[in-house]
Amino acid sequence: MTAHPRIWHLVLILSIFSTPLVIMYVYQVIDSIASPDPGSLIPGEIDLSNWRFLWERIDMGRPSIWMVTFNTFIFASTTAFLVTLLSTTAGYALSRLDMPGRPYFLGGLIILHAFPTITLIIAIFIILQFLGLFDTLLGIILVKAALELPFGVWIMKGFYDTVPWEIEMAGVQDGASRFRVWWELVLPQVKPGLAALLIISFLSGWSEFVLPLVLAPGSSTQVLSTYMNAVIQDDASADFGLFKAIGMFYSIPVIVIYLVFQKQLMNIYGGGTKG
Amino acid sequence: MTSRMLGIGFLSPAIISVCIFFLLPVLLTVVFAFTNMSTSTGIMGGDYRINTEQLRSLPDLDVSEATVERLETAGFQITEAGLTALADQFSKDTAEELREDYLGETFESRRDLERVLKDLDEPIRRTRDRKEAADLFAVTLIGERFGTEEEFRAALGTTGIDAVDHDVLTEFAYTGWTWTTDNFSLLMELPSTLRYAANTAFYVVATLTFNILFGLFLAISTFYLPGRLANTFRAIWFLPRILPPVLYVLMWNWFTWDNGFIATVMGWFGVPAKNWMMHTSTHAWTAIVLINGFVGASLGMILFSSAIKAIPTSMLYASEVDGANRWQQVRYIILPQMRWPILFMTSYQTLSLLTSFEYILLATDGGPGRSTEVWALAAFHTALNNYGGNLQYGFGAAYALVLVFIGIALSVAYLRFFNFKELLSKPRIEQ
Amino acid sequence: MELRLENFTKRFGDVTVIENMDLTVNSGEMMALLGPSGCGKSTTLFAICGIHKMNGGALYFGDRDVTTVSAQGRSVGVVFQNYALYPHMTAEQNIGFPLKVQRMPKAEIRREVERLADLVQIGNLLDRRPAELSGGQQQRVALARAMIRKPDVLLLDEPLANLDAKLRLEMRSEIRRIQRETGITAILVTHDQVEAMSMCDRIALMRDGKIVQLDTPEQMYRNPQSQFVAGFLGNPPISFLPARADASLTLANGQTIERPPGLEAMGDVVLGIRPEHFGPQHGTGLKGKVVFVEPQGREELVDVRLDGGGDIRSILPAGDPIRPGETVDWGIAPGTILAFGPNGDRL
Ligand SMILES: Nc1ncnc2c1ncn2[C@@H]1O[C@H](COP(=O)(O)OP(=O)(O)OP(=O)(O)O)[C@@H](O)[C@H]1O
Ligand SMILES: [Mg+2]
Repeated sequence: MTAHPRIWHLVLILSIFSTPLVIMYVYQVIDSIASPDPGSLIPGEIDLSNWRFLWERIDMGRPSIWMVTFNTFIFASTTAFLVTLLSTTAGYALSRLDMPGRPYFLGGLIILHAFPTITLIIAIFIILQFLGLFDTLLGIILVKAALELPFGVWIMKGFYDTVPWEIEMAGVQDGASRFRVWWELVLPQVKPGLAALLIISFLSGWSEFVLPLVLAPGSSTQVLSTYMNAVIQDDASADFGLFKAIGMFYSIPVIVIYLVFQKQLMNIYGGGTKG
Repeated sequence: MTSRMLGIGFLSPAIISVCIFFLLPVLLTVVFAFTNMSTSTGIMGGDYRINTEQLRSLPDLDVSEATVERLETAGFQITEAGLTALADQFSKDTAEELREDYLGETFESRRDLERVLKDLDEPIRRTRDRKEAADLFAVTLIGERFGTEEEFRAALGTTGIDAVDHDVLTEFAYTGWTWTTDNFSLLMELPSTLRYAANTAFYVVATLTFNILFGLFLAISTFYLPGRLANTFRAIWFLPRILPPVLYVLMWNWFTWDNGFIATVMGWFGVPAKNWMMHTSTHAWTAIVLINGFVGASLGMILFSSAIKAIPTSMLYASEVDGANRWQQVRYIILPQMRWPILFMTSYQTLSLLTSFEYILLATDGGPGRSTEVWALAAFHTALNNYGGNLQYGFGAAYALVLVFIGIALSVAYLRFFNFKELLSKPRIEQ
Repeated sequence: MELRLENFTKRFGDVTVIENMDLTVNSGEMMALLGPSGCGKSTTLFAICGIHKMNGGALYFGDRDVTTVSAQGRSVGVVFQNYALYPHMTAEQNIGFPLKVQRMPKAEIRREVERLADLVQIGNLLDRRPAELSGGQQQRVALARAMIRKPDVLLLDEPLANLDAKLRLEMRSEIRRIQRETGITAILVTHDQVEAMSMCDRIALMRDGKIVQLDTPEQMYRNPQSQFVAGFLGNPPISFLPARADASLTLANGQTIERPPGLEAMGDVVLGIRPEHFGPQHGTGLKGKVVFVEPQGREELVDVRLDGGGDIRSILPAGDPIRPGETVDWGIAPGTILAFGPNGDRL
């Protein structure tokens, strides 16, 4: 729209509302590397001692940050991979393949997509105990992947829906099997969808808190979210410098992905989908 | 390969995982809600056992004195276990002699056994020792573990406990979980139920209102800003959505706690430091609504922004030519186009706000007191995380069941948002 | 190879789109499936490809019954309206894909691709992706891809619809040339009569899932079996005038003209008069007033409103100074009037 002389009203109002967030962001960084003195907001000397968790144990009995990071990475990437893999096949089947019961699968997908999975956590907790997967990385990976699946299938189905039918018809006519048509002709058309889904499910896994908290409470399966939460809970002195340094470390991948893919992310989230 | 086979192959992994982690949990939530499962009952079923401590509560169950006594000591029997203990504590020879002459024999009363011990070739001489030695052979159900109900009942029978008390005792001795509808009567009775429901309603309505109004405001105002500026604001407001919740709430904690930002700034004006998030329940609610609201408004902004972008610019230009001012443009052109996204956002957010507790858990954990405890958090606290340590899975499942039902009902309603007919258009390759 | 469709029936759910259709395309012939939108042309084509299953009837390629053979198992090349090129492959990979599926050695594929590229004259474009090709070039690639397997039958679904007017003209003759050169049996689906008439040996004119007439273009134009066929073919279209056939022919407006030989005095009929058969060069007999003149360069279209009602169109060489409002008295070329009964059948 055209610039407007009274636009600064808007800017002012927006700025006032945004101030708390901006202050939080700014001090998130400042506090982690140059904590101000108590009672002051002026950054102090650059001081990396808040980052000591990287090279020493901050408490006895706490797992090393690198193991926790490794766990988190395994958790997030394996979930993302699983979700993407299963969504890629299931999304295609639902979008394109003529099979019995397809309407029911589609209806079920929409219901599942909307269904608040977190309400099932008590039952899942007990199921994992039965399966012997309680407090294992594998357990939370399977659960997280399953709970993300309806979203993933929905996204992938959407991407498949945009591939012209004629491409598939041409492929079939050229003598290729449906599987080959999918693999060689259709899959290359939905690569952006695959990438988007991978990124989103990775982010979602990386940020996940409640599932590991409930389903993998042991210290050997801790991930960064539960690690950070435990540090905050256990520290009586509210050492925000330390918390924020851990938070910075924790959110590096998120920030990087955010900076690189901001536009695409907004588009996907804006498509009326769950995130 | 026919597409039918391919379809089944492509779908089945997803279907299996959906069955294990969606359908099964839904069913099990129903099942668990009708049990008294908890940490003490375990989840695997249990065995039959009565401890010494439990004896005291037995009279409350209208069990007769005689039965209680019988439970404690039901006579004496010379058993290998008792003999081994005797050999250890007293003399091997006595034990050996007892084994040869009396193994397997039972004695009605302690006196009888004591007499035997006294009359042995290798007797136990002191009266006190004989008493202790006799105790080694006491037959008792206390502390003993029975795998099945039959075994336990059989043991009751051989002990000679009055058959009238068998049923009561069997039920009492069972350590595993049982079927019950108590969870629901408890839900009905507890005053906290109403409290949590009211909290939830307030939380959902307040947050939702904030989300939508503020989301709309963000979307519309950034729409009118020049590109750079708009993108800056959008970036600021998008971040809460993708930051990990633990970190996002930490920033709020820092902002509001007693050594945090507000306290520091207020300190300059002589206001004593306090925890601005947890000071009173009003503070806590404000914090909760803002914390959730900023994230929700972020989603709203994105959703509404893309809806505004979809409005044909010709429509906006036309209205400008017609002399509409900004406000009129928003009121008559943009808002009417937002009806659908607002509806979508409302239904979708209602569902997720009703059931999510992540941010509340991290921020106030339901406090101060129980003033910000919402239904979903109550389910979580009851079943999965409380300070008492006894996790009541069954009762928690009853809480969750309510949400599961609402969830199913609302997500079925959500089906109507989609043009289902069109979704179902048949695949165009028929093979 | 001859293609024979017998008693073909196709239903979508409970809607029957095509019922008991018979169609034979001779070996080496190019057949047009012509008809208005929604008449079932694409449906027929998809059934021949094997993309749609047939609900009834049989399909033969030569002597081979392929009714239940899968699309992959039929030797059919298809060019789709939007070409359906694989966007992530170069032109060469696109054309070679059917052979790659057959696991033909690379060198041989390369040789075949070059042969086809020469045939459709895109030898210099093989490294480009579809997005870097013009519409006409894309279509040549699609044509080459459809032909590389040396299919029994070539199917073209509205191949020219996405091209601009000039390219359309060029591709029309190109496709015909390639079809002639290779001698392949081809079916062209189109709703453009000019395309059908100019490119094909025979036309099957469809309406509501039925073939209403199957004939050579000239025959169909000159000798339509029904009012629908007469009205569908011809540009500018034929004019219809209701009339009464007694001793003479009385038009609805009261004017009378001579009853053509062969037309019985049977009451109400509809006359069809092609624009080229009505004009001053054919004498006099019909009086009216010029209401509209549309110059078309070489020719001009003249709409005449007959005295007492009824419109009739004429096509005349350009240059005659005819003005709207002029009164005229023009005639009809003898023996050219087409007469149809009340049910639309040709008399
Ligand atoms: N998948 C389908 N499901 C239901 N009806 C269909 C389907 N495909 C086609 N039809 C119907 O069958 C009839 C014939 O369709 P078809 O696509 O064959 O028409 P067409 O002659 O190719 O038309 P056009 O010139 O517009 O392409 C139409 O009435 C159409 O609505
Ligand atoms: Mg068609």
